Amino acid sequence: MNGALDIVTTVLLVAGGFFCVVGGIGLHRFSDFYQRTHAASVTDTAGAGLMLVGLMFQGGLSMVTLKLVLVLAFLLFSSPAIAHALVKAAHGHGLALELEIEDEPGRDGDAAG
Amino acid sequence: MRLGVLALLAAVWLSLSGPYTVHEWLIFAFGVVSVAFVWRLYVALDRAAGGDSEFFRASSWLRLPRFLVAFALKVAAANLHTTKLILAPKIELHTRLRRVPASQKTSFGQVLYANFITLTPGTITLDLRDDELLVYALDAESEADVMDGSMDRDVLRLEGGPD
Repeated sequence: MNGALDIVTTVLLVAGGFFCVVGGIGLHRFSDFYQRTHAASVTDTAGAGLMLVGLMFQGGLSMVTLKLVLVLAFLLFSSPAIAHALVKAAHGHGLALELEIEDEPGRDGDAAG
Repeated sequence: MRLGVLALLAAVWLSLSGPYTVHEWLIFAFGVVSVAFVWRLYVALDRAAGGDSEFFRASSWLRLPRFLVAFALKVAAANLHTTKLILAPKIELHTRLRRVPASQKTSFGQVLYANFITLTPGTITLDLRDDELLVYALDAESEADVMDGSMDRDVLRLEGGPD
C-alpha cells in the first residue's frame, strides 16, 4: 500500500471520527427528542460515510471496495427509514414539538390525521 | 422491470457471498433460495403498492451519477451547518414545521425525496400525505435548503421530468 493512499485514508477516517464525536456531542447538547434525531443523522451520514470512503481507498478496485459501497448504500437506505419511523411514532403519539414557526396549523390536519 | 430486480438481487448475492468454485452446490442452492425469496417479497410489495416502480427505467440509472454528486454535496453542506450548530458556544435553534410540496410523479420518487430530506442533517420528514411532506427543520438555514426546491428538482431530474 503506498503512502499517498494511506494519508488519504487516515484523513478520511479522522474526519469521519470527528463527525461521529460531533453527533454524540449534539445528542447531549440538544434539548428534546426531535432535535436529537438531527444530531444523530450527522453520525449516520458524515461519520459513517467518510469512514467507509476512507476504507475504500485501502480496498482499491476490488471485491472489498464493492462490499463497502454496498454497505454505504444499505446505510443510506436504512438510516432515513429508521429516523422517519422514530420521529413519526413520536409525533403520532403526541410528543410535543417545540416550534417557532408552524405552517398553517390545522389546515387539514385534524380531519386527515 | 421485475426481472431487472431479480438480476440485481442475483448480482448482489454473487458479489457478496457467491460460490467461487462451481462445486459448492449447497451454497449455490442457498443463494438461489434466498434470491428467489427476496424477489418474491419484492413482487408482492410492488403489487400491493400498485406496481408503479417504473421509476427504475434504464434511463434512471444513467442519470444516477449526477444525482449522487448533487446528493453528496447537499448532505456535506448540511452536515457542516449542523456541526456548527452543535459546536456553537450557545445552542441556538429556531425549530419549525413546514409543508413542502413533493412534485414527483411516482410514489418511489416521493419516498426518495422524503428520505433525501431526512438524510440531510437539520431537516427531517415527519409525514408524507397528498403529495405534501411535513418537514421539521432545526433553523432557518436548514429550512431554506428544502424550501428553495433544489432537492425536489434533483429527484425530479433523476425521475426523468423536465430539467
